[in-house]
Amino acid sequence: MVFRFSALARLCPTLSLLPFWFILLPIMETKIGRREFVKLAGAAGAALASGGLEQTRAFQQTAAPGPDAAEKELVLLALDAVRSAGAAYADVRITRGNFEFVGARERQITAINKSETFGIGIRALVGGSWGFRATRDLGRDAVAATAKEAVAIAAANDSVNPVKTTLAPVTKVADGRWMTPHQIDPFTIPIEQKAELLFKTNEEALRVKSVRFVASNIASIRETRLLGTTEGSLLHQTFLRLSPNVNITAVSDDNSDFQTRNAALPPMGRGWEYVVNLQMPENVLRWAEEAAMKLSAAPAQAGLWDLVLHPSHLWLTIHESIAHPTELDRVMGYEANYAGTSFLSPPEKVLKKFRYGPSFMNIVGNRTEPGGCATCGWDDEGVAAQSWRIVDKGILVNYQTTREMAGWISDLTKVRQSLGCSYGENWAAIPFARMPNVSLMPNTRDLSEDDVISATKRGIYIEGDGSYSIDQQRYNFQFGGQVFWEIKDGKRVRMLRDAAYQARTPNFWNSMALIGGPKTYRLGSALNDGKGQPTQANAVSHGCPIALFRNVNVMNTA
Amino acid sequence: MQSNNSNRQGLSEDQARELSQKILGFAKANHTRINISSGVHGFTRTAINRVTTAAATDDINIQITSVFGKRVASVDTNRLDDASLERAVRDSEAVAKLAPENLEYMPELGPQNYAGIDGYYRSTGDLTTESRARAASLSIKAAEAAKFIAAGFIDMHAGSQTVATSNGLFAYHSGTGVASTLTVRTPDGLSSGWAGDEGSDWNTIESDRIAQDAVEKCRQWRGKTVLDPGKYEVVLEPTAVGMLMLRMMNVFDARQADEGRSFFSKRGGGNRLGERLFDERITILNDPAEKNAETSPFTPSGQPLQREAWVDKGILKTLSYSRFWASRQGVPPKPGASNLIMSGGDAGVDDMIKATKRGVLITRFWYIRPLNPRIVSFTGLTRDGTFLIENGKIARPVTNFRFNQSLADLLAKVEMLGRPTRVCASEDSTVGPPALVPALKVKEFYLSSVSDAI
Repeated sequence: MVFRFSALARLCPTLSLLPFWFILLPIMETKIGRREFVKLAGAAGAALASGGLEQTRAFQQTAAPGPDAAEKELVLLALDAVRSAGAAYADVRITRGNFEFVGARERQITAINKSETFGIGIRALVGGSWGFRATRDLGRDAVAATAKEAVAIAAANDSVNPVKTTLAPVTKVADGRWMTPHQIDPFTIPIEQKAELLFKTNEEALRVKSVRFVASNIASIRETRLLGTTEGSLLHQTFLRLSPNVNITAVSDDNSDFQTRNAALPPMGRGWEYVVNLQMPENVLRWAEEAAMKLSAAPAQAGLWDLVLHPSHLWLTIHESIAHPTELDRVMGYEANYAGTSFLSPPEKVLKKFRYGPSFMNIVGNRTEPGGCATCGWDDEGVAAQSWRIVDKGILVNYQTTREMAGWISDLTKVRQSLGCSYGENWAAIPFARMPNVSLMPNTRDLSEDDVISATKRGIYIEGDGSYSIDQQRYNFQFGGQVFWEIKDGKRVRMLRDAAYQARTPNFWNSMALIGGPKTYRLGSALNDGKGQPTQANAVSHGCPIALFRNVNVMNTA
Repeated sequence: MQSNNSNRQGLSEDQARELSQKILGFAKANHTRINISSGVHGFTRTAINRVTTAAATDDINIQITSVFGKRVASVDTNRLDDASLERAVRDSEAVAKLAPENLEYMPELGPQNYAGIDGYYRSTGDLTTESRARAASLSIKAAEAAKFIAAGFIDMHAGSQTVATSNGLFAYHSGTGVASTLTVRTPDGLSSGWAGDEGSDWNTIESDRIAQDAVEKCRQWRGKTVLDPGKYEVVLEPTAVGMLMLRMMNVFDARQADEGRSFFSKRGGGNRLGERLFDERITILNDPAEKNAETSPFTPSGQPLQREAWVDKGILKTLSYSRFWASRQGVPPKPGASNLIMSGGDAGVDDMIKATKRGVLITRFWYIRPLNPRIVSFTGLTRDGTFLIENGKIARPVTNFRFNQSLADLLAKVEMLGRPTRVCASEDSTVGPPALVPALKVKEFYLSSVSDAI
């Protein structure tokens, strides 16, 4: 599930902690930063080829910064406190999140915000039950008290409802360090320079006739995570992420119609060089022209169409119909009250048997992909980042697991260790099973986008994601897009509007007829992948080539 | 019962005043605004008939907004020591000085008059892990007795909000919110039922009834069969109505309408204020004082919030005007809604079923997303109890559907209204914006395709 939060609300985590008696940003105010996650277009994407994607281990960076001495001492203090309070296991995380948001509409600035959230979260296991307690107060006494409360919460649950929990083995790392590979730290770029880039982008867009509104923004994120476990691991990681966004609205002369075009720029785990390479002021003209063209585009005709799906669109279909249903906790019923269960159930009936798609369909789960938003050194249980096949030659072969979940399917998969999918949004949120980057491997043949379009007699080409929705077992989905083009006899002939396709997951993926080669591979991403109660945001990317699907049900949404 | 000011979660009014004055004392900008939110968030989750996690988090977030002329920036921090606070103020001012002008910036407000609203209930604020675990185990026992499987969530917030400006404004509000929801499924995964409550007051949460209703719904939905998609008369339970109508609330915005990008835009320019657009029994209100659905009586900028009718007897009565847009249009500013209160009638869901010749009963929805803003249409799916009604009776359980539906059209095609009730209408069942809505019987609701999901 992906949310469209107001960017500002997402960047101020505590607004989502206590939002309900205030004016509610996510629901009532969608004007600022309507789209918090966006997709890739333009030249920069070509740099993100799939090389190295299936490497088995993340590189450990010796140059990455280590922990602050005071924070390390607090983690050790908390670990001592949970041990002496009788926890069977505990992990302690101190996270510091720094967010910077610069937003503009037309020729003026709309918001500049910098925020920091800093605190400690302690997860303890008593008997087989979990308890979690978190506080912003990093005084020594407060940390010790918080540790005891985490144990007390776990004990209270275990006395009401005793259960058994087994954690898969993990390799201890006493001094682990990792940092997002980057060239330029986005926090070294002055805010004025970011505002200037947005103004230039907006100005160019407004040159196009009928384009009346343009909103753009850049979110820069730096997060440090210090994790200590009662098993002796101590890991310090620094994450950098960038999320640029441009949204253009064209209005007809008599106000009878309006159309929007989002630039589809994905958030990325990279440095400022990513934003520079996007060349927003140069590329915005095309996006603005397409917004205006939508006003007079031909309505899409409902019926069966072949679809050519650009990676800026297809990533979200992968997210919803492959990445979510292969989360093992939902398969087993842990998310039944909200995110739902999964059609890939029970594991013993579908693992190594269920045909997801054609034999050239290979899906990889990984926390190693360069630029990926879920890429890291270790997960929140200290399990090293890795890469594994979820779908191999069209057949489901594995799920996503944490330490608690690995044993549930180890007899079937012969994998005894966790696949490293534990993640909590920040210090205030309990870690649980969250998806890694989940990507569709490109064709081994060097097929171009033109080659894929040429193979299409009558089809619709879709770029960017629009409206999106899927049921709680991940069967029935419906996706719109930003721009639709009719393909006739192997050529893009004209723009269409108001299209969406609706399909059933296994039928859809089995209708995949052709995929592009490595040069067509791009990442799409979300910083707001939502799951859990209360909902936590997860940052994740999905790579894929351009792909052709046969005979998909298309509807007109006007 | 509501309490006096002592022993509450989050900063007290005195603490909040002292803290905001201290921060304002560090400020050197032309104008400064302080927003503080503080409190505790706790929850207990269950699944596969066990308590899976429980947690509590406390936090205090301070936002400092600094203004030089029309140059504005803000900084958020949760560090409370003097050095950190002063550093945050300096940082905010440094960024504001360098910021390009925000031409739409409106000056900070001075003192305002607010409705005296107390939304804090000790029953919620003092709710313990043990009490939540007991309520959760009650639902597990009910599911086990029926040989079903429970997955539930109890969510509580308690805390306070503060706004203070260098122009002398000070506003403080404390409140609580709690939600309890339960999904009950059969072990074979072929049926699912849901029930839930939400309120400001834990004492209004009926844990026994939630358990019974979810078990009963799961029992009734067993043996579902396919029904063809199409336009159906539908009976929407209050939760289903709340989930849809909360998405209507951000459409009541004057600027979007005046700029030509809203359902409320008028062809040729302007907006449709004063036009009769919906069934005459439809009235949609905001009221921060509504009992058990209380909200803060002020916005983050300190504007007073009060009772406001957005739609009155089917007529578009009010649109929200930001302070900038109001000054541009020469009208008084009007903040957006903080809660959703819909008028109703006196029909029960049973009466609506009796009055339906052929239709579909819908328990709730899932994954609702905008489709076409020009007609306020949304897509999403039914979930946890969908039934065919024939000749005034539930005929049989049916598969879930995807819907594609304009809410404006829905409000024009209402046939019967039930008694308004507070519902848990957020998709993740966390405490959301309070929604007090009736069940509705509606004509021609478009169930566009079948979903195999359970």
